[in-house]
Amino acid sequence: MAIDVSKIIHAVMEGSKIRESKGIIPLFGVYLSLFSVNYYDRLSFDFEIKMGQEREAEAKTLLIEAAQECGYATFQGIRNSWEWEQIVAPMIENKEDQIIGFAAVAVAFGWGDLAVEELVPGEKLVIRASDSYEARGYLEQYGFAKSEKCYMLRGVAGAFMDLIYGGVYPEGRYVFSAAETFCRAKGDPYCEFIARKSSHRPDA
Amino acid sequence: MAIFDWQNELNRDGHRVVISGQPIAMHCHHYNINLQKTLEETLGTEGVQLLYRSAEETNYNSLQHLFNQYYKIRTLKSKLEMASLLYQNCGLGIIHFRKVRPSSAYIASTSSHHVTGWLAKHGRRETPGCHFTRGWIAGALEVIYQRPLGFYMVEERQCKMKRDEECIFHVKER
Repeated sequence: MAIDVSKIIHAVMEGSKIRESKGIIPLFGVYLSLFSVNYYDRLSFDFEIKMGQEREAEAKTLLIEAAQECGYATFQGIRNSWEWEQIVAPMIENKEDQIIGFAAVAVAFGWGDLAVEELVPGEKLVIRASDSYEARGYLEQYGFAKSEKCYMLRGVAGAFMDLIYGGVYPEGRYVFSAAETFCRAKGDPYCEFIARKSSHRPDA
Repeated sequence: MAIFDWQNELNRDGHRVVISGQPIAMHCHHYNINLQKTLEETLGTEGVQLLYRSAEETNYNSLQHLFNQYYKIRTLKSKLEMASLLYQNCGLGIIHFRKVRPSSAYIASTSSHHVTGWLAKHGRRETPGCHFTRGWIAGALEVIYQRPLGFYMVEERQCKMKRDEECIFHVKER
């Protein structure tokens, strides 16, 4: 059975309308919040600016690692959740299907129109998005960028591979890392993320 | 307040998620707390200010948009109710506007996404940590009282991240 992306999106939208009495949204094993994409864009891009040119590379690395660590914990929670078990697990036939399921959840979360373009088991993952909130936010705020800007999605692409091929959780974090080979913020037609085995692990 | 139909305001516009037509992203506590920790540890006070200002400005714009759309919501009481409802329905927690005046306010939060997330990931902290909520409150009151961005200063005097019973926020003019 193929992964039914629309079914996953529908489940997330319905679940995100359920509140417990404390105003917390517990869904897919995590606590969700709903907030303007402008907030996340401003945090990332102003952080980069405040770090200055000398610390530009460090700023990017920190933002990507924050997202990768988050993606690793978040999607581990998601794939162990009751909702995943009920809605997604019946559609999964092999390990690789899990990544399609993860990407569908990311679309449901409003991160962009992610699509898995290529997956070589254990080696390589290619994800594309023609509209990510990071690239769109950068373009709207600053115009064309000189370098790629989708730090969150870049970290998340690495985390997807870590979870499936990185080994037993939580030992597999940062086994993979992703590059953003194309970015709409630079004027490319889409954003593309390629995750491969990492040559270095920041916490190894 | 029945005219603010929350369930219908949260929708999809193609692959985007929107509240009253404004694009939002769903993020979990892992990401929100990771971002906070990264900014605090890397930039110190400047990072805290960035968290505060980003929440203030974003909430100011979002609420302004909502109040323009729901123009029948005019009284202070109904605007504060709408702001609390928005906070709660965005999964941000519970906020009580206990004493609110044009020049000062006293606000309590009994539960919040950031507190729950911080405690789950890092446990108790030594200093107040609800920078997002401080900024969010500032933006909300600036819209409600039609003041410019940055008009109010919000201080957190008690914080559940420190294991205080509630988060208590005091607002005054800058």
